[in-house]
Amino acid sequence: MKAASIQVILCKCCTELPAVLNIERLRKLAEESCNVVSVMMVDAICDGKGLPAVVNNAKEAEVDRAVILACHKKDIDPALFKAYRRAGINEFMIEIVNIREEALLPHASEPERAQLKAETMLAASLARARLLAPLEKQTEAMKTKNVVIIGAGASGQAAAHAAAKTGAHTILIEKTGKSLKAPGIVMPHSQVVGAKGYGGNYQLTIKAGDKIENLDAAAVVIATGGGWTQLKGPLAKAVKDAMPLYKLHEHLQAGSVPKGPVVFVDTPDPTGKTMKVQDYAWDDTLETALQLKRKARETQVFVIFQEMRAFGLSELAYKEAADLGIKFVRYDKSAVPKIDPKEPTNLIVKDFAQGDVLSIKIGTLVFSSIPANQDNQAIADALRIPMSVDGGVRRGSIQRWPVTTPRPGIFVCGSALFPKSNEVAKAEGEAAGSMAGEFVAKGEIEFGGSVAQVTQEKCSACLTCIRTCPYEAPFIGTASKAEIKEQLCQGCGMCVGICPSKAIELHHYTDDQIMAQARELLGGDF
Amino acid sequence: MIVAKRKPLNEIAEMVAPYKRVSVIGCRSCVAICLAGGEKEVKMLVSALKVKNKKEGRDQEFEALVVERQCEKEWVKEVEDKVLGSDITLSMACSLGAQTIGDMYPSHVTFPGLNTGIFGVPEEQGVWSEKCVGCGNCIIHTTGGICPISRCAKSMLNGPCGGSANRKCEVNLDTDCAWSAIYDRLKIQNRLELIEKVTPAKDWSTSHAGGRRTYVREDAKLTPHQKKGKEAIQ
Amino acid sequence: MAGRKPKVVGFCCERHGMDAAVLSARSGKEFDASVRLVQVPCTGRVDGMHILKALEDGADCVFVLGCLEKNCYYDTGSIEGRKRVEYVKQMLSEVGVEKERVEMFNSASTNAWMFPEIVSKMVALAKKLGPIGGEKQ
Repeated sequence: MKAASIQVILCKCCTELPAVLNIERLRKLAEESCNVVSVMMVDAICDGKGLPAVVNNAKEAEVDRAVILACHKKDIDPALFKAYRRAGINEFMIEIVNIREEALLPHASEPERAQLKAETMLAASLARARLLAPLEKQTEAMKTKNVVIIGAGASGQAAAHAAAKTGAHTILIEKTGKSLKAPGIVMPHSQVVGAKGYGGNYQLTIKAGDKIENLDAAAVVIATGGGWTQLKGPLAKAVKDAMPLYKLHEHLQAGSVPKGPVVFVDTPDPTGKTMKVQDYAWDDTLETALQLKRKARETQVFVIFQEMRAFGLSELAYKEAADLGIKFVRYDKSAVPKIDPKEPTNLIVKDFAQGDVLSIKIGTLVFSSIPANQDNQAIADALRIPMSVDGGVRRGSIQRWPVTTPRPGIFVCGSALFPKSNEVAKAEGEAAGSMAGEFVAKGEIEFGGSVAQVTQEKCSACLTCIRTCPYEAPFIGTASKAEIKEQLCQGCGMCVGICPSKAIELHHYTDDQIMAQARELLGGDF
Repeated sequence: MIVAKRKPLNEIAEMVAPYKRVSVIGCRSCVAICLAGGEKEVKMLVSALKVKNKKEGRDQEFEALVVERQCEKEWVKEVEDKVLGSDITLSMACSLGAQTIGDMYPSHVTFPGLNTGIFGVPEEQGVWSEKCVGCGNCIIHTTGGICPISRCAKSMLNGPCGGSANRKCEVNLDTDCAWSAIYDRLKIQNRLELIEKVTPAKDWSTSHAGGRRTYVREDAKLTPHQKKGKEAIQ
Repeated sequence: MAGRKPKVVGFCCERHGMDAAVLSARSGKEFDASVRLVQVPCTGRVDGMHILKALEDGADCVFVLGCLEKNCYYDTGSIEGRKRVEYVKQMLSEVGVEKERVEMFNSASTNAWMFPEIVSKMVALAKKLGPIGGEKQ
């Protein structure tokens, strides 16, 4: 095997790095390190200006891998990897060391220790870089351009429109028989009952009426929305004039004002037996309460809630609401609102903030939130995606990927995540629809790279990997040994960590790579 | 399969303490599958012992090895150099593996790293339960496919005993009564008449009570001529 | 040897774990420099061997930091991670090494204050327990 030849890039992070660390010492250490053939300093790797010089340097020095001392890998522009690729360096041969957030920023008050730590991190990354291996991703053509959208509510319809704009074929699957206008196909009285395959090539099993149909889908958008819209539990028995928020909104539009006092509660079942994703009021509660109060100043308005979420600028509504005299009462799950046993038209609430026990007369009860859709669990099981604790579908990352699930090709929007207003649901629907459209437009699935691989000679076919993997990627192949379906492998490495025969290795995070890095990091004394 | 369990590490450490060079040999068969002595366990054991030695300032060398099936000489042969190059071998296979090494190299000391327990099946990941004791005379065709010898604490043949209550065993209330299970199974199979049949005392001569057992299949044995040929090749 | 600095290794998952560390640095939080972070894709990737090897190679304490168990990016990854840590703890107590040296933590990526707390807890522990086998190392 050819010895590694490494290029080291030191990113100054404009002036941040030299302000704390001695960059010359780092450069010297890099130059003196084994296998390093070129060391280069750049002002800021993230702005892309220095990129051509960096890549030219890599070409001239004929390096086959690079160690870049910069910041968090997720914030490095993908353009860097593309540029290196053009220079013939595989993206998995580039090791990015987060010197900024692991040494520079948190230890700025101890520059000498930070310097020694940075130097050790450089040594450790070089040790890891020497063990890196290039990995090629593979592609597979998508069989269809179908984007299947589950649920034809506000978010689902928005998703269908957005996805259709990108040229995808949209298929809306709706549980009820409601008629609607949407691009593509609408399947009423249908439900997803099963799914096979992976992002790009899913085979869904759809129950349409009494028939079971198979449907190929390249991407899936979950837009199941919220659950039921009727009062439940003991309140349902005691209160007759209760309505969901959107009903009140319709009344107000039509010019009628309900009987006061109007009490908004956050959930149709405050006793908590069915509490799931409903424990807060959203910004529409505020808006509607305001509309009501503006129309009928003399009507008393109470908003009873556990958590309130106002989206963006709708937070401004709090001020107006306070000015107009809308009363906010926050309660805790340990003391849920109850009907007053002595006065059946009154609601007893313990104010969480003040500790007072209030007895509020109910004219009209409005429940502002809806629980999680009961179908979510079945859909999540069929598509094998994780659920959140409160019965919604879980998203990939709240900051980075708000409308994707951890599974490629499956997107989620609207109240399927947690209850939200129409507008937000529509906005999320559009986002999810366009992302699904974009995903399908690629026409092929990319897979492989940092995935698990079985060394069959070592495999005892003990089935431990198959039992452990949440993605059903390992299977027993024709040789009666475990194999990994790369399209399904997400690269988490759970099977690798548990394999009793050490027969599985995760590319790019091999035992050797992890342990070499740890050993080298422990070598430094700081 | 054979299910084993690692001995407590302090016991193992005590066993190997007097020796300088220790070879630790795992097995890729039963004990790997029951998560007791595969390559992972061998490496973790070595690492843990090294951490202990570090704490106590003891100097020992360890070699982590693993073979396909430690109960067969041919596989052990592959690591012969390493075994004989060490002062002591710690076998991380079932007792069969440890004894195979011991029989192959009688002057070399071999210790067991595992406690070999049961012929069991994995009920779920991480749970193994005993379903056979190797009595050498299987009767489960008469008991609905459930072995009363291994699954009944008293190995009753015409059970259940008087201690069976609420389908549980009096010896261990977490254990289902084997004879309740047999009854249920026979009922599903519409063979309940079998439960009324009296089974005479079992012939235990096929079991371990008769001393060490050897199973021979004459037609599979190599003739002296064949053996000679093999030796010539080797 | 008064000058010896503790050595703590942290295996952080690429998702919430490492993001929490990065966020705390970016929010201006300082934490002890003794901590050495090793990124793994998921705490389920952590093998007991990695932890033991780190102790062997000179770490005083090792922690594993993953997503919240109910919000793990890989669904069950941080549960697997916890089980690995628990097994190592058991092995350590069998060989008579303080099992507190190894710990599992979970954090949300948006939690900036948690990471410095984890570090100070582990560093304080490393200082209290000292290196495995005493100062001669």
